[in-house]
Amino acid sequence: MDSAVETMGLTKSYGPLKALDSLSIKVRRGEILVLLGPNGSGKTTLLHLLSTVLKPTAGTAIVMGYDIVKQSLQVREKIGISFQEARGFWRHKPYHILAFHAAVYGLKGKERSDIVDQTLRDFELWPSRNKKFMELSGGQAKRLEVAKLFVHRPEVAVFDEPTAMVDLDGKRMIWDRIRGLREQGSTVVVATNEVREAEYLADRISIMKGGKDVVTEGLRTLKDSITGGDVVEVGVSPAITSGALKAISDVPGTVRVTQVTEDTLNAFVNRSEDWLPLMMASVQSLDVKITSIRVSEPSLDDVFLHYTGKEVANARA
Amino acid sequence: MREFITLLGYELKETFDSVPWTVYFWFFFGFQYFVYGQLVSRLVVNLSDYYVYYGTGLLIIMTFNVASWSGRRFVEGAHEGRLRYILSLPIRRGELFLEQLLLGLIANIVRIGPPLIIVLWLNGMPPIVLLTSLMVLLSMSVGVMGIMISLSFIAFKSFDIYSAIVATTSAILLRFSTILYPLSFMPNAYSSVARFNPLTYGADLLRNVMSIDVNQLLNPGSSAFIVAAVGVSMLTLGMAIVPRTLEGVKSS
Repeated sequence: MDSAVETMGLTKSYGPLKALDSLSIKVRRGEILVLLGPNGSGKTTLLHLLSTVLKPTAGTAIVMGYDIVKQSLQVREKIGISFQEARGFWRHKPYHILAFHAAVYGLKGKERSDIVDQTLRDFELWPSRNKKFMELSGGQAKRLEVAKLFVHRPEVAVFDEPTAMVDLDGKRMIWDRIRGLREQGSTVVVATNEVREAEYLADRISIMKGGKDVVTEGLRTLKDSITGGDVVEVGVSPAITSGALKAISDVPGTVRVTQVTEDTLNAFVNRSEDWLPLMMASVQSLDVKITSIRVSEPSLDDVFLHYTGKEVANARA
Repeated sequence: MREFITLLGYELKETFDSVPWTVYFWFFFGFQYFVYGQLVSRLVVNLSDYYVYYGTGLLIIMTFNVASWSGRRFVEGAHEGRLRYILSLPIRRGELFLEQLLLGLIANIVRIGPPLIIVLWLNGMPPIVLLTSLMVLLSMSVGVMGIMISLSFIAFKSFDIYSAIVATTSAILLRFSTILYPLSFMPNAYSSVARFNPLTYGADLLRNVMSIDVNQLLNPGSSAFIVAAVGVSMLTLGMAIVPRTLEGVKSS
């Protein structure tokens, strides 16, 4: 069994609205798959279906060999979810919240108290361990929500926007912990609309739009998949000639070339690492010298724009 | 079973963590029984001992309130995201429903038990009546919890509408019943409505087991049957409705 999670035509409708539209994706064992998409793209619905909080309208999914419709109890024993909004038992304290979570998953006695203590320290909640949940700040409550999955370390851990409302230091800490979870053998699915989070965490990224999976690939492959995505700024001396422009335009992998100043041009190319040696060779025989080269590859924002027609920042609004 | 017991313990801890809320119930009883009950009993001259009659009615009102609270708590849990978290845990849906029911019953025993003991003691009733009375009150609370939880499908669409419907239903059920006045005293229009009210049968059954004004009460056999039937049917309805409606819940 290669896949930890496999969805097959998974659909969830609310009346006429299809929150998830016949989704079929696979999550490989031991990887971190990041679901990237704007609000309303179906990320949260997918996580709720996988954790059996919701039932699908059609289709199904297999989680660690168990069907989410027919074997929901077994699925819940294998999967753990950290929800987008930290909500809970308002009067309970962080220690009791984590201890309860650990107890439900069978941890007892000293083993349970040790792991709860350690998790509180790991997530910088130790000083707040005796505050009531309703007295925690938004960031603390969110860290507590994420920390739940670290007391029982499920085989499949799903996080819905794990660093929303968390400060910058806290984000980095949570990302490192999530990577640590993967290194200890868990398969991880993270839903986010934060590009930096996706870039930091993902082994593969699934871009979602309108309840569908637009593309699922590794970050490098996604960037390479954009035609003319790499921009190479080439400086020449003494000035750009028509011969030089033509020579560069004719290099295999060039999508288009634009002259920026009299001695600078931008070449939009596929895979700049392959293109550069070919370009250098083709201008060698000309009467111009290359004075500078600067390469910029497409960002994940560009990738998102390419596949969805929306910028991530705009999509979030 | 481990998950069931762990969850029940956890929810009980939260429920009784709010000591003022439980004390308020006892204060409410004390004030109603020893002040309002005493005063209003002097006005009622057509019933031989209205104070005893009123005391049992008060116990039923409190049982109704605690059971309503249990149903409302379930609905609020769905809106606050607490229920969604519980649904993600490895606990069977049926066990979760039973756990909620047991939680409500325990809350009922803790909050109604002391007032019940006081009423029985002040009226010189034997200890066995405590057991039978408690069984009647808990049977009624199962029915009320079932009604409130079954209505939760409305709350998942609009909590305001749910609150309004629960308040209206509660007002009608409590007034058009024999909780505060016997069937024989009601005008025909009222009594014919009250005969369709399960609380009427619950109230009369409780007074039957306490041997209060037996001549003015409905037949205990049919009352027991109706109380049990309402409890079972509301529970069944709740178990059928709730799992279907939960999947559409969005926390606010």
